[in-house]
Amino acid sequence: MAGLAATNCRQNLSGPSAGGGGGDDGALHIYTWANYTDDGLADAFTERTGIPVVVDIFDSNEIMLTRMQAGGGDAYSILYPSDYMVSEMLELNLLTELDQSRITGLENLKAQWANPAYDPNNAHSIPFCWGTTGLLYNREVSPGEPIDWDFLWENQDALSRRITMLDDMRETLGATLKSLGYSYNSSNPAEIEAAYNRLLELQPHIAAFKTTGFENELLGGDLSVSMAYSSDAIALTLEDDRMEYIIPDSGASLWTDTLAIPATAPNVDAAYQWINFLLEPETASAAVERLYFATANQAAFERLPADIQNNQDLYPPEEVLAKSEGIVAVDADSTDLFDQFWTEVTSA
Amino acid sequence: MRPNSSAPQPDPTHPPIPLMPRLTWPSLFTALMYAFMYFPIIVLGVYSFNDSRYSASWDGFSLRWYRALFSDRRLLSALQDSLTIAVVAVAISAVLGTLMAIGLARYRFRGKALYRGVSYLPLIIPDIAIAVATLVFLVSMAVPLSLATIIAAHMVFCLAYIAVVVSSRLQRLDPNLEEAALDLGATPTQAMIQVLIPQLAPAIFAGCLLAFVLSMDDLLISSFTAGGGANPLPIEIFSRVRTGVKPDINALSVVLILGSALLAGLAEYVRYRSDRIRQST
Amino acid sequence: MTPASAPIPSTTWAARLAPRRWLGPVVLLAPAGVWLLLLLVLPTLLILEISLVPGLRLGQPSGGYGLGNYLQILQPVYLRVIGRSLAFAVGSTLLCLVLGFPVAYWLALLSPRRWRNLLLVGFILPLWTSSLLRAYAWTTILRPSGVFNTMLTTLGLPAQNWLNTPTAVFIGLTYSFLPYMVLILYASLEKLDTRLLEAAADLGATPRQSFWKITVPQTLPGIAAASLLVFISTLSDFVVPTLLGGASSMNISRLIYNQFLGPTRAWGFGSALSMVLILAVSLAIALLLRYGDRNTVTEA
Repeated sequence: MAGLAATNCRQNLSGPSAGGGGGDDGALHIYTWANYTDDGLADAFTERTGIPVVVDIFDSNEIMLTRMQAGGGDAYSILYPSDYMVSEMLELNLLTELDQSRITGLENLKAQWANPAYDPNNAHSIPFCWGTTGLLYNREVSPGEPIDWDFLWENQDALSRRITMLDDMRETLGATLKSLGYSYNSSNPAEIEAAYNRLLELQPHIAAFKTTGFENELLGGDLSVSMAYSSDAIALTLEDDRMEYIIPDSGASLWTDTLAIPATAPNVDAAYQWINFLLEPETASAAVERLYFATANQAAFERLPADIQNNQDLYPPEEVLAKSEGIVAVDADSTDLFDQFWTEVTSA
Repeated sequence: MRPNSSAPQPDPTHPPIPLMPRLTWPSLFTALMYAFMYFPIIVLGVYSFNDSRYSASWDGFSLRWYRALFSDRRLLSALQDSLTIAVVAVAISAVLGTLMAIGLARYRFRGKALYRGVSYLPLIIPDIAIAVATLVFLVSMAVPLSLATIIAAHMVFCLAYIAVVVSSRLQRLDPNLEEAALDLGATPTQAMIQVLIPQLAPAIFAGCLLAFVLSMDDLLISSFTAGGGANPLPIEIFSRVRTGVKPDINALSVVLILGSALLAGLAEYVRYRSDRIRQST
Repeated sequence: MTPASAPIPSTTWAARLAPRRWLGPVVLLAPAGVWLLLLLVLPTLLILEISLVPGLRLGQPSGGYGLGNYLQILQPVYLRVIGRSLAFAVGSTLLCLVLGFPVAYWLALLSPRRWRNLLLVGFILPLWTSSLLRAYAWTTILRPSGVFNTMLTTLGLPAQNWLNTPTAVFIGLTYSFLPYMVLILYASLEKLDTRLLEAAADLGATPRQSFWKITVPQTLPGIAAASLLVFISTLSDFVVPTLLGGASSMNISRLIYNQFLGPTRAWGFGSALSMVLILAVSLAIALLLRYGDRNTVTEA
């Protein structure tokens, strides 16, 4: 029996996800990043459609992918993968091809997302919001005003155990690559190793690898600097004057988070309803006013109050964006290197 | 205790039957350790009434986190998931674990040592290893993860703990009662249900309580076997602690601690009662 | 392994079952046996198999068998993880023993008899509450602006930044497992023959002498059982190092967790780590059975 199981097992482990037949309790299960939905958004949707919304949070694209592949993601009808993860999931056949006739409001999107490189013609994903990855700091306790990633290394003693970095392989190793003048998407083993060594030097001074959850400690002064997504950072800068967010001078990552329907989605109708709901300018702009993410929806952007439209953290000027770089899927060998160095640096 | 043990007390100020132990260094040290055990719980309790969102400084008394807690549908549904898992897993395990304990006490067979060894494994193998193995097994069998898979995985350790507790009671049991029942014409099944099970009831209850508490507290095995939207309480708490705690978690702690204290009190009461019954028979 | 094979009647009345004597053992032992076989033994064999496939990743084709995953564990960075796990386990076990023994001693021998049960229950009551929340409570205490530093500065001592360091992990582990230590030591000390102590005192032994010559040797099996139990639990703990240790305290459980539910999906490597952990724990158990008091463990 064990032998039979073993043969079976190897096939299932190397094939696509073991999905199918997850419980459909009538609710819309969403797997997303922190701070993209709140009770207000979910309640408005439920009021409109009668479908309850259940939101689960992931820390990184890779963890979301693992969940989906391991079969724990059967209940989800909506995922929020980032750009490069959309490409990866497409290759693994994990996403449903969208029926464009069931989607209304695509014309509201900003022109730059009409035909994105990661998913031509938005065939499997709908751009939801975009942003940068930079440094969020508390002016009261930080030993200075960071302008670049180097700030962390130069002040590592003063910042010891008062830094958090994203719990995200491509972002954190990528930022280190950038600080060395390399690309986020380097596939040069020597460059990736140099970044690993540099991150290893900072490692003893890092309090924790956290994608979210640093907010209270940063506000309380227990942390000085946190590497953060702009969408998470801006809410804090608006809430508290001591909080500042910067996009490092040598460049940051520029990302798009999307809405996608997994191949195993149990409640596809509700998923389309959710996508259409978020494409409505009124819904999107109301959500932005509460949650402060940079919407990819031009019609929603135009409805926003001027102070949010002009917020440079949220919508950075062109010259800042020009220095930034989108993370793209890298070849298998480089992925292995990223994996290996990430495991080692987090184990050190 | 000898009746005259406190009579030759050299200290005249000492009462004949001391209500408080003398302040010796072990008693002082023990008091300190009690403080150590309760300090974090008290801190959580105090902060659960703190008006401040960042919970570092005291901003005044408030019940807002308790209000937030009781209107938090997600937390309540996580609690419901946890209770469902624990109750179902413990109920089935109570039957399977008790039968296993009786079977192990009653029969000798080839491979018994191996069987017994395997039944101890869930107590010995670390949770993380069990969790990982269960996930690999479920994925390789293409079983979709759901509430049911969590229950199935919890049953493994629940029945092992229940069997251990029941076994230790069985060893101290008087076999004559059951034999008498058989001699009086009861069938073996009747003898088991009407004579043996009532004698084992306190142990079964104690085992179930232990399994229930372990199931309610399990994070790792649930994390690896959860799917289909099942979201038991420890997973929800872990996710909230990592993604930024609002102080309603403090309020939740206080509620859970009071609930567990009640449960512990109940367990102790049952144990006390069964001790009394055992002494009187 | 079939539980039904050749049942030997152990009591006289069991002979009455003769016509269907396979039925009893099957009904009693098969359900739990099948369950354990299916959801414990088989899965463990599966991870043993997977651990022998180098570089196996979820969702990717895998190659043939080999020892690559085990060789990967021998890299310095992972040996340090194992060393760190052992250090956490040994250190917190010793701390639990040093702190727990006096408590168990007082509870078992010195506390007022009529309150004894209640006092014991009071000490282990925190075990009944969520281990996650108890660990989380320590983050509130140990954060730089937390209660602990407020206390230190009030006393005129320098503030400490212990959160996210191994120190915090030691505190958290000791706190979490101290009640187990006290519970088992109590069971052992309760059985101590106090007449021996009285006799020793009559023969002029000092309390210190009788402690080291009588109390400790008499309770050694209990000490061994309690220490090994705490050692095993702390070796594989996940919650405390994750919540209190931050980036500084990757231990074997966290590493295994990350291989399976983390970004890299290195299930082969994770399985190998799992097998190493099972092996380490089995060794500790073997030691316990060899030198420890079996009954004390079962009762605990």
